[in-house]
Amino acid sequence: MQATIEVNGLRKRFGSTVALDGMSFTVEAGHVTGFVGPNGAGKSTTMRVILGLDSADEGTALVGGRRYRSLRNPLSHIGALLDAAALQPSRTARNHLLWLAHSQGLGVRRVDEVIERVGLGSAAQRKAGGFSLGMRQRLGIAAALLGDPPVLMLDEPSNGLDPEGIVWMRGFLRSLAADGRAVLVSSHLMSELEDTADHLVVVGRGRVVADTSVAGLIATASGGRVTLRTTAPSQAMAALTQAGASVAAAGRDTLTVTGLAGEHIVALLSRYAVPFSEVSAHRATLEEAYMDLTRDAVEFRATGHEAAR
Amino acid sequence: MSATAPYRSGARAGRGGFARLLRAEWTKFRTVRGWVLAMVAAALVTVLLGLLSSSGSHSSCDGVCPAVPVGPDGEAVEDKFYFAHRPLAGDGSITVRVTSMTGQIRLPDLNPGTRRVVAGVVPWAKAGIMVKESMKQGSAYAAVMVTGRHGVRMQHNFIHDTAGRPGGVSKQSPRWLRLTRSGEELTGYESADGANWTEVGTAHLAGLPAAVQVGLFAASPGGLTVTQGDFGGSSAASRFAEATAVFDKVSLRGSVGGGAWRPDDVGVTLNPDGSAHHPGGFKESGGTYSVTGVGDIAPLSDGQQIENTLTGVLTGLIVVIVVAVMFITAEYRSGLIRTTLLAGPRRGRTLVAKALAIGTVTFIAGLAAATAAVTFGKQVLRANGNHILPVTTLTELRVIVGTAVLLAAAAVLALAVGALFRRSVAAVITAIVVTVVPYILATASVLPADAARWLLRLTPAAGFAIQQSIPEYAHVLGDYAPSAGYYPLAPWAGLAVLCGYAALVLGLAVFQLRRRDA
Amino acid sequence: MRRHLHAEWTKLRTVAGTGWLLLGLVTLTVAGSVVAAAAVSCTSAGCDYDPAKISLFGVQVGQTMAAILAVLAVSGEYGTGMIRTTLAAMPRRAAVLAAKAAVVTGLTLGAGTVAVFASALVGRRILLGNGFTRGPGTPILSLAEGPMLRAAFGSVLYLALIALLSLGIAAAVRDSATAIGVVLGLLYILSILPFMIADPGWQKLLWQISPMNAGLAIQATTKLSGLPISPWAGLGVLTVWAAAALLGGGLLLQRRDA
Repeated sequence: MQATIEVNGLRKRFGSTVALDGMSFTVEAGHVTGFVGPNGAGKSTTMRVILGLDSADEGTALVGGRRYRSLRNPLSHIGALLDAAALQPSRTARNHLLWLAHSQGLGVRRVDEVIERVGLGSAAQRKAGGFSLGMRQRLGIAAALLGDPPVLMLDEPSNGLDPEGIVWMRGFLRSLAADGRAVLVSSHLMSELEDTADHLVVVGRGRVVADTSVAGLIATASGGRVTLRTTAPSQAMAALTQAGASVAAAGRDTLTVTGLAGEHIVALLSRYAVPFSEVSAHRATLEEAYMDLTRDAVEFRATGHEAAR
Repeated sequence: MSATAPYRSGARAGRGGFARLLRAEWTKFRTVRGWVLAMVAAALVTVLLGLLSSSGSHSSCDGVCPAVPVGPDGEAVEDKFYFAHRPLAGDGSITVRVTSMTGQIRLPDLNPGTRRVVAGVVPWAKAGIMVKESMKQGSAYAAVMVTGRHGVRMQHNFIHDTAGRPGGVSKQSPRWLRLTRSGEELTGYESADGANWTEVGTAHLAGLPAAVQVGLFAASPGGLTVTQGDFGGSSAASRFAEATAVFDKVSLRGSVGGGAWRPDDVGVTLNPDGSAHHPGGFKESGGTYSVTGVGDIAPLSDGQQIENTLTGVLTGLIVVIVVAVMFITAEYRSGLIRTTLLAGPRRGRTLVAKALAIGTVTFIAGLAAATAAVTFGKQVLRANGNHILPVTTLTELRVIVGTAVLLAAAAVLALAVGALFRRSVAAVITAIVVTVVPYILATASVLPADAARWLLRLTPAAGFAIQQSIPEYAHVLGDYAPSAGYYPLAPWAGLAVLCGYAALVLGLAVFQLRRRDA
Repeated sequence: MRRHLHAEWTKLRTVAGTGWLLLGLVTLTVAGSVVAAAAVSCTSAGCDYDPAKISLFGVQVGQTMAAILAVLAVSGEYGTGMIRTTLAAMPRRAAVLAAKAAVVTGLTLGAGTVAVFASALVGRRILLGNGFTRGPGTPILSLAEGPMLRAAFGSVLYLALIALLSLGIAAAVRDSATAIGVVLGLLYILSILPFMIADPGWQKLLWQISPMNAGLAIQATTKLSGLPISPWAGLGVLTVWAAAALLGGGLLLQRRDA
């Protein structure tokens, strides 16, 4: 069986707040899986449960089929980047990786390898306290790669990176997946994942709201809607409704049609001689699809006059 | 589904789990320069403060300080008494009847300069019969005696004491005493009537030569006054006291040298003009002997103890506590603790590895510091004319190694408190308040000695007992207060209290760490 | 300055630890005094203890709480990085430190008064129960008498000065664990040093400069002539320590990058 992450029915409460409410998903090997959802949707908590840092009230989270806390060489099963700022400021980057390596029975060679791989070679002997956020992210990735694990899990890895860094990160994640690794990347911004992820796990309010490929998600969000521009909207509406479609007015001369494919609409309108200037299948953006899915799941939303601005 | 081949980690499994965690924690410690420097500073401050306080202790004698006699077991002794003796070759025995024991004691002056002397005997005034190897101070002996307030005793070689029948001695209820020698075995007996004898005890005096001295003796340690120090602590003063015992029915068996009893005021203090200061005396009339003696036959506790060179440990301990606490709380502050728990998800083992790492580092630093402080401190003390109470090599080793263990255990305790609280200030304060503060309150405050003793029994500060090199002797009256360096618990028992606390709190910390979300 | 004071007061008031620390100060002080008073027993020859020192003994334990309060007021902000927010809002750094000092002093004086007077009253009752007398037939000093009143008020001032000393050190050292280590080392280690050195001249000098020994001389009501330093002069020594620490901490705060 392939070593991946399997999350099954996680539930967790913090006092009266429900953090996880039946979270279940599986991460596939050889893919970059995006783990998206608004802030407070339970992404970080899920990751911490997977890593044995937090314990769930119910459900299981397995890495390569085993609970994290039972792993003998955990870093060679899964590498994780949670909080890039979690460093002893007065320790050098190389020494930070060195103690981690020693805890896994790995040698200095491996430390130097991962430092080179993330491009920190020249800063290895500098104190981590003086690093920029971007350098810390790289150091965190180096730590995740230390045990050469088949599974990687990164919490908001692009946070604080400059545009160049974001491009680097994208390529890097893709290359990790190309090695055959399972890569789970969380983000609260869909746009960040658009060019990186093959697969998406969208979460809201502690549970998975969509577990689909990127293409599938867009198709679902588009939902077979067709936009129709016509100078005779009432005629068109009558004809289409009769044929079983549902029609809504979207403007003075624009209708949104669902339940009929574009070519059927064209044929129908031609038969009834209804004039139309444009028939176009609606294609949702990933962002729209995401907003659609998580509309009900956003915990804090700007309200009142704040939102109206 | 995916067609990609599953990824296989290239990392090879390393050595056993716990050793790796320990190594990782050691790497963590040594790669933060501030911690390493602080640990070195803790060692240095221990040595330097020890030397400073050693160099502040001066003692001067007119000309050359007199040599302090050393007993057969290696300890410094006071061997000062009045002895009327005759030579005895080979086996034999001496039997006497003691009919009275009286004496006089000087009381604390009410008006400076006016001596107040009253009749009476101090509790450990002693008189009786003795077999002694030679007249050399510190030589082996065994004696059966009556005492001021502790009944009949058999004592030998200064530190050994066996109780006989309690009660005083008077004309109406005299005491018969007998001491027999058979090779190296000496046996003491007592009797109320000279007919029914009870064995008090036996002594084995290894290497006792055939020719020994046998005779009647009397001695009286000074009256002890312990005063509460004005700024805390206490001070003890010893005042002149002497004891006089009357013996009759003296009978000797064996090949006892002929002639009269030879009186000797063993170890008497001399005035500058050469006359004896507080001399004893010996009178004989018609088979009744009266012996008056001043002094004591007992282990000596006046002088510098080797642990006096370790006064810097307390300061070193504070530094160690701060470092040990930060070793864990710094991880909580930065969030690094999560990385640590990712690398070692079996949390109990990870925390124990961390404790062992800081404990070992502290032990090594402490061992180096204690060794240097004792070695050089003794030299400084000697150079300043102080007499250092001799102890066996094993005791010295116990004091040095024990001090290192004390520091290491305190470091583990501090780390455990840090893991429990996850906040550095609360943890540092708690660790200092339970280890350093009780010690200071017990030894250097106005706290009464009893309260001080309880502090050193119940709190982790009990561990300082491991530094006590000179034991408390039940048969020597002294100011055995914590402020004088005497602990209520035996050295290893005291250290065990500290280690117990460290283990307990570490256990709690492991329990909490396992239970809590990180 | 009023706004500075208000801001610091609000900050300290809204931190959860403050209330607990003040409660701890009162509890530890009273508990320490009660234990000490209960542990004292008198012989027929008389009582060789200073009743004021015994009934105010808990101050030696309770002072740790005043020290933490002061250290946290400064280095707590360094730990979280809030000091930058503080200095951005109130760029006059000396005023910030002064406001902190004022607020911490006020709180310590308040809690210290409760702690000290409760200790004195309870301690006296226990000592009287133990048969403690000033001389034959004369009960020990009550709070209404001059020396005892001086000891009690002095102890309250002592606690406030310890807080100020800690505040200054914390401003200089910044790291909270190190600061508290330095403060406690300065108090307790310097207090025990005179006992470790046999030379009487050194002993006396070390006694006079030790902040805790000299400061606590204010509690002495018996054998005043035997003290190495007079009560008020002793409190003066502590004042010099506190002033020096505040000055040093203040200068470093001014000069250093936050």
